[in-house]
Amino acid sequence: MHNVQVHGEDILKRQLELAEKNRRLLEGNNVIAISVMGAIGSGKTSLIERMIDRLIADGRQVGTIAADSAGDDDHRRFLAHGANSINLNTQDDCHLDAHTVDHAVSHLPMETLDVLFIENVGNLICPADFPLGTAKEMVVISTTEGDDMVRKHPKIFAQTDILVLNKTDLADAVGVNPERIVSDYAAVNPHGTAILTDARHNAGIDELLAALGL
Amino acid sequence: MHEYSVASEMIHALLPKAETIDGRIVAVILKKGEMRILSDQALANAFELLAQGTVLENARLVVELVSVRVSCPACGYEGAVDHVSDDAFHFAVPILSCPTCQSEVDMKAGRELYVDSLTVQTPSEAEQA
Repeated sequence: MHNVQVHGEDILKRQLELAEKNRRLLEGNNVIAISVMGAIGSGKTSLIERMIDRLIADGRQVGTIAADSAGDDDHRRFLAHGANSINLNTQDDCHLDAHTVDHAVSHLPMETLDVLFIENVGNLICPADFPLGTAKEMVVISTTEGDDMVRKHPKIFAQTDILVLNKTDLADAVGVNPERIVSDYAAVNPHGTAILTDARHNAGIDELLAALGL
Repeated sequence: MHEYSVASEMIHALLPKAETIDGRIVAVILKKGEMRILSDQALANAFELLAQGTVLENARLVVELVSVRVSCPACGYEGAVDHVSDDAFHFAVPILSCPTCQSEVDMKAGRELYVDSLTVQTPSEAEQA
């Protein structure tokens, strides 16, 4: 037996190229795009709603891409808060990719937007492998998911700029110590920023906006 | 669970080359960066299924891990990174930080995913074996 060298192109090269195309389009239009990842029920949509309210009050135009397997619940929530929203059903796909985002942004008024939130499908594994071309990425987890979330999904946290720990108001009720999550995150990502929020009661939103450079 | 689509893209890209090879393709060597979140077993299963009816049928998918390598803009360090050693993580998780000065680093390797080589057995090699 012998080896034949192939040195094939990166299998995900097309995805990386499309992500770069998205990045150029967004930056060219001065749109700050934020990729929002996190588990189902962690509070991604509520956090984006709170941020939309603050940004619009500040006179800024906000766009959203609401990705879910099915339905348009999140999309309608964003519209009700005054965002320019696109609903994106991935059907059975477990993550967004740069190609889908490329299509979605073509339906948004890019020249008038200041900020674009891209809410990914609720999943802590697949989205990490598919950059979308955003300026920042954040992962949302909630105290109700338990204080072992970072240890269960270390790779996504090791490579994401911002960890948002939401539902801090419920930490005591579910017996979770937020400090444990924050220290686990610091261990896998010493340069990341951890923000504690309680979206329902509007706590920590200003800190989150500051961490995102908004 | 995007291993199926990854295996599909890999086979699609590989077939034109694989079909020109004289001999039986025994193995496909895939290089996978340490930061990639892909299951080797799921990749192998998807590959086995999707390769049926092609020259890659019966080839084994061998996944070889590529360690994270970084360069540090602050101190000039180039090389491997430390890993989280806490037993609670069970797996060694690379820390994307300079092991000498703890600054932020640029990742030079660790996210790749490509077919490196094929292991081939020609008819004469089969006879000798």
